Amino acid sequence: MRTRWILLLAAVGVVLGVFGYRVLVDRGQQPPEEAAAHIGVAWTFLAAGLIAWGRRPQSRVGALLAAAGFALLVRRFQYSESSALFTAAFALGELSNAFIAHAVLAYPTGRLQSRLEGIFVRAGYLLVLAFPLATLLVYDPRRSCLFYCAFGGPPHSLLLVHPSNGVFDLLRDSYRLGVFGVLGVVFVALIAWKFVNASPPRRRTLAPLAVAGAAAGMRALIEAAITFTTYSEDTRQILFWSQVTAQIAIPIALLAGLLRARLARGDVAHLLLELERTPPAQVRDALSRALGDPSLEVAFWVPERAGYVDAAGQPVALPQDDAGRAITRLEQGAERVAALVHDPALLDEPELIGAVGAAARLALDNARLQAELRAQLVAVRESRARIVAAGDSERRRIEQDLHDGAQQRLVALALELRTAQRRLGGSLDRDLESILDSTVEQLQRAVEELRELAHGVHPPVLTQGGLAAALDDLARRIPIPVRVLAAPQERLAPELEATAYFVVCEALANVVKHAQASAATVSAARANGSLVVEIADDGVGGADLSRGSGLRGLYDRVEARGGRLRVVSPPGGGTRIVGELPCAS
Amino acid sequence: MRVVVAEDSVLLREGLVRLLQEAEFEVVAQVGNADELRAVVRRDKPDIAIVDIRMPPTHTDEGAQAAARIREQDREVGILLLSQVIELRHALKLFSETPERFGYLLKDRVLDIDDFIDAVRRVARGGTAIDPEVVAELLGRRKEQGPLGELTPREREVLSLMAEGRSNHGICAKLFLSPKTVETHVASIFMKLGLRQAPDDHRRVLAVLAYLNS
Repeated sequence: MRTRWILLLAAVGVVLGVFGYRVLVDRGQQPPEEAAAHIGVAWTFLAAGLIAWGRRPQSRVGALLAAAGFALLVRRFQYSESSALFTAAFALGELSNAFIAHAVLAYPTGRLQSRLEGIFVRAGYLLVLAFPLATLLVYDPRRSCLFYCAFGGPPHSLLLVHPSNGVFDLLRDSYRLGVFGVLGVVFVALIAWKFVNASPPRRRTLAPLAVAGAAAGMRALIEAAITFTTYSEDTRQILFWSQVTAQIAIPIALLAGLLRARLARGDVAHLLLELERTPPAQVRDALSRALGDPSLEVAFWVPERAGYVDAAGQPVALPQDDAGRAITRLEQGAERVAALVHDPALLDEPELIGAVGAAARLALDNARLQAELRAQLVAVRESRARIVAAGDSERRRIEQDLHDGAQQRLVALALELRTAQRRLGGSLDRDLESILDSTVEQLQRAVEELRELAHGVHPPVLTQGGLAAALDDLARRIPIPVRVLAAPQERLAPELEATAYFVVCEALANVVKHAQASAATVSAARANGSLVVEIADDGVGGADLSRGSGLRGLYDRVEARGGRLRVVSPPGGGTRIVGELPCAS
Repeated sequence: MRVVVAEDSVLLREGLVRLLQEAEFEVVAQVGNADELRAVVRRDKPDIAIVDIRMPPTHTDEGAQAAARIREQDREVGILLLSQVIELRHALKLFSETPERFGYLLKDRVLDIDDFIDAVRRVARGGTAIDPEVVAELLGRRKEQGPLGELTPREREVLSLMAEGRSNHGICAKLFLSPKTVETHVASIFMKLGLRQAPDDHRRVLAVLAYLNS
């Protein structure tokens, strides 16, 4: 259906062009090559418009270009002998300028971007209709000369009300100044403004407008030259041909821009090949390059979470629709694969982003599986850290309960017995006195035992004095000489202090049990955002991470906090255990 | 003597208060947390505050922190810290500079009532009370070689009691020795360690602690 319309309009255009050419040449109004150039410009607009309309029906730019083409063709009939044709062509011919400006500003979607552009375009339409109509009201061919008056009997204006040469001249000059001067400059400024405000991908789309801006600027200059200076025939020739060239460039540039997504299919094929060699982690970068959008983000769909994650497996939320970002969701059958979060400008080229998405789907699905795996890893790591942290805080709680509950109670009880014993003074018999004494003594021993038990569960020194104090204390409790070479004097996060302490504690327990060492050293120091804990002994060595649950437990503890554990233990060469624990700030 | 007791366990606090009252101390206030402690000390100006190191809300070292503030603001108030555990480094930090009017004891020392009352009096009068465990650790840290190794077992005992902050009189009572014998031991210890005799008790404590901690 659309194709038929396009063919029909093209045929009408050809006929109009041929007649237009005849009108120009047969009456000797213009030299044949210039007449042909005029018709050529009009046909270029028409052809570009119709092609664009056919290929990009959702954009009104094609229709506007075609309308400009028709207006340019119609304008040629100003030179007709027929007064009716003259009047109609004169009244409507200038519309071409407004159509062109409208098409350029509305590129690429066919919709104007701002209120200012809307006002500008409406003003344009109004002026290019109003001025010629006003001119027709006063134009008298016997007194004024419109075009090439030397070539004989000019037609009349059918709208003539009152001939006036003064008004005619005024209208003509203010039209040239107003439309080609002032509006021309505003037009160039609007285009420049579009560029300034555009995001990188948008700027790429807008490139053809630079051509239009340059052409309009040139047009304004030429009109100014015609209005304010006299010029030779040679100069006129140069101006004429450069104007023709500039005009032809406009529809070609716009059409090329509109069809670029189609031309970019080559890029898409290239992308497809490139993606085969791209590791999943870099899929985003390849897509970003292909789409010319550095802000592109890729979010992968993870069905278990019913949500999106980034390439590192961290959950991400897609932006809201109004956040100045656009989202294109990619699906494989009915299953979601990924979402591209990109510059809304890319929506101007739905086919490009569709094609790129299709090409990337396989690679993205791969990347998605990796991201999903990472997400699971992140979840497992988090839960492991939580379990260890929960264990530590449980130990702290048990210690606190023992300390603030049982221990206090026993001391209070013993104190009560002592007070009673004192109050009774010498009135007690010896047996009872010694029973009370031994009861208090046993209570005291129970308090001591509880204290040791609590210490083993979670040393209060660690809570009260921090890691340095706890390591000193620990070193004294070990039956072989242990030197603490370094320890951070400042307080660290409680979980970090606990992990470091228990690592040293378990490592030293291992030294005592297995190493047959005569001495050991301990150090803990912060370096490059890590707390590095090192335990070394001069024992028999040969410790192996895969054997014995002691080292295994250490390894799990350190790993759970996202750290690393190294064991260097050559047979006969002592053992050195180095744990690196990430610490904030 | 006027006493303030800060201890969050009600049972223990009441036991302590009864004990002190029976020893004819005037207990002017008893509180359960560090903020209240500072308030009543400001208000009542006691001779001594007996303070549990661990109190609400975090049960870490609120008592010690409050005590440090009180010491900054009012040197006249004696502080006796009670703790379920003795921690050497913490102890040294607390009194290595100004041992006067200061004490740091394990909580269960209260069960040896006479000793405890003696420690409270000592601190309230400007003296020092350091837990035997702290002294034992300090002594234990030193190598046996050197001057300490030359002390007789009796002299070591006397040295420990000096380090705890006891006066000659207190040492006599504790070891059942005559004042003369104690003085002889003290003189001998100071000679062997190469220290000068200190003119009063807390300078003596300071000298002994400095020696042990060097």
